Amino acid sequence: MSSSLNLPIQDLYCEHHGWLYRWLDRKLGNANDAADLAHDTFMRLLTRPGSGGFGSEPRALLTHIAKGLMIDSWRRQEVERAYLETIAHLPEQQVPSPETRWLILEALYRIEAMLRDLPEKTRQAFLMAQIDGLTYQQIADELKVSLVSVKRYMRDAFLACLSVA
Amino acid sequence: MNPSIDPLILGEAADWMVQLQSGSATDEDRRAIAQWQGRSAQHAQAWQRAQAVLGDFNSVPASIAGDTLKRIGRKKSLGRRQALGLLLLAGPATWLAWQQKPWQAWTADQHTAIGEQRNLTLPDGTRLLINTASSLNIAFTDQVRRIDLLQGEVMITTAKDPAPTHRAFIVQTRHGTARALGTHFSVRVGEHSSRVAVLEGAVEMLPARASRGLILKAGEQSAFGSDSVAAVAPLDSSALTWENGMLLAQHMRLADLLDELGRYRRGVLRCHASVAGLSVSGAFPLRETDASLRLLQDTLPVKVSSLTGYWVTLEPR
Repeated sequence: MSSSLNLPIQDLYCEHHGWLYRWLDRKLGNANDAADLAHDTFMRLLTRPGSGGFGSEPRALLTHIAKGLMIDSWRRQEVERAYLETIAHLPEQQVPSPETRWLILEALYRIEAMLRDLPEKTRQAFLMAQIDGLTYQQIADELKVSLVSVKRYMRDAFLACLSVA
Repeated sequence: MNPSIDPLILGEAADWMVQLQSGSATDEDRRAIAQWQGRSAQHAQAWQRAQAVLGDFNSVPASIAGDTLKRIGRKKSLGRRQALGLLLLAGPATWLAWQQKPWQAWTADQHTAIGEQRNLTLPDGTRLLINTASSLNIAFTDQVRRIDLLQGEVMITTAKDPAPTHRAFIVQTRHGTARALGTHFSVRVGEHSSRVAVLEGAVEMLPARASRGLILKAGEQSAFGSDSVAAVAPLDSSALTWENGMLLAQHMRLADLLDELGRYRRGVLRCHASVAGLSVSGAFPLRETDASLRLLQDTLPVKVSSLTGYWVTLEPR
């Protein structure tokens, strides 16, 4: 390659694309998915904020991004699977139209990400308030905890949501 | 991706959310919240984020949200909760209404030169990135947020509409309209059709002379003429990395790649028919198309021949 082309992303692509693709192919066992994910990894690298240099360990950075993308895509599939199971049990008139389906899936995906790391009880209390619309007192009665505890759960959950959102 | 906000401010926002939702919020609290939001840009952002969180919960029907979330990798049942039934509170209306200055109509003409890309933030917070050799008019009114794309390409990241009534966001081309149902998409107008690519959210394409449109979801792209819509295809993200001044090609035909690069330089850029179908992968800088051409010469069996800087042909080596 010509030495005048000293653009880091180009060099990175030339040197590491083949290797990353083979690594993903081994992980996923699917050449098409591996090609897509390798491509997405470079996309992510290119679009990440403040992409100055790529550090001294470009391979570590690339596998880090690729792993994140793999996990991301598994989680999306998991949310979609759970959604499909749910609507399979709904009466037809309650099944969302194809137009609103993507909106709901996107919202569900974000909600899942916001609540992912919350302790079970906090998550449970928060969902009772945000989804079922219970009052804090009703939640306290239902979970057999004090109103102060419910408020603490809510604060923790809101803070987690705000930190992820 | 998101701008970072001081965790202390996020904590205060969480406190206010709890206070509002607890049912014991007073008018004084509401005034205090309004004041709190005005303290800094970060305070305002934190509050917007909180509204977005509630928006996510409100946009999923309760009958679907609860069940779906339970089915996701969590085995513990919420048990008796269901026996309690669903008791819905008043939704978003209980939250503070937007406090914004009166809306003002805003129009502007924008042009970019060949090779130029320009960032623009509109009064509603929507961000435009106008690509090379493009021109557009921005027509915002009380009823609608509209971009008239006359030539070229624009990448749009819509913001939540701060106006009291929700206004549609549309991009008008000579072939019809693309109506944003979501957040991040691009429109490119050509001679015979307008191409739409959706990165996030969704966009409805409405050809000027068709009775109904077609909705594109995130990760999809398509094109429309004045009276027809092309088949939906998976998003070819390669074509959208221009946002970062690069073209990331994956098995792209050399002729197509040159068409793309040609949009960013003056003159004629073409290749000999015998190499037009060569498959190219790689990362090519758009702001220095000469460097991209040298890269092609270094990696493919082609040579760059140039009569003048204006007339460039890639030939078999």
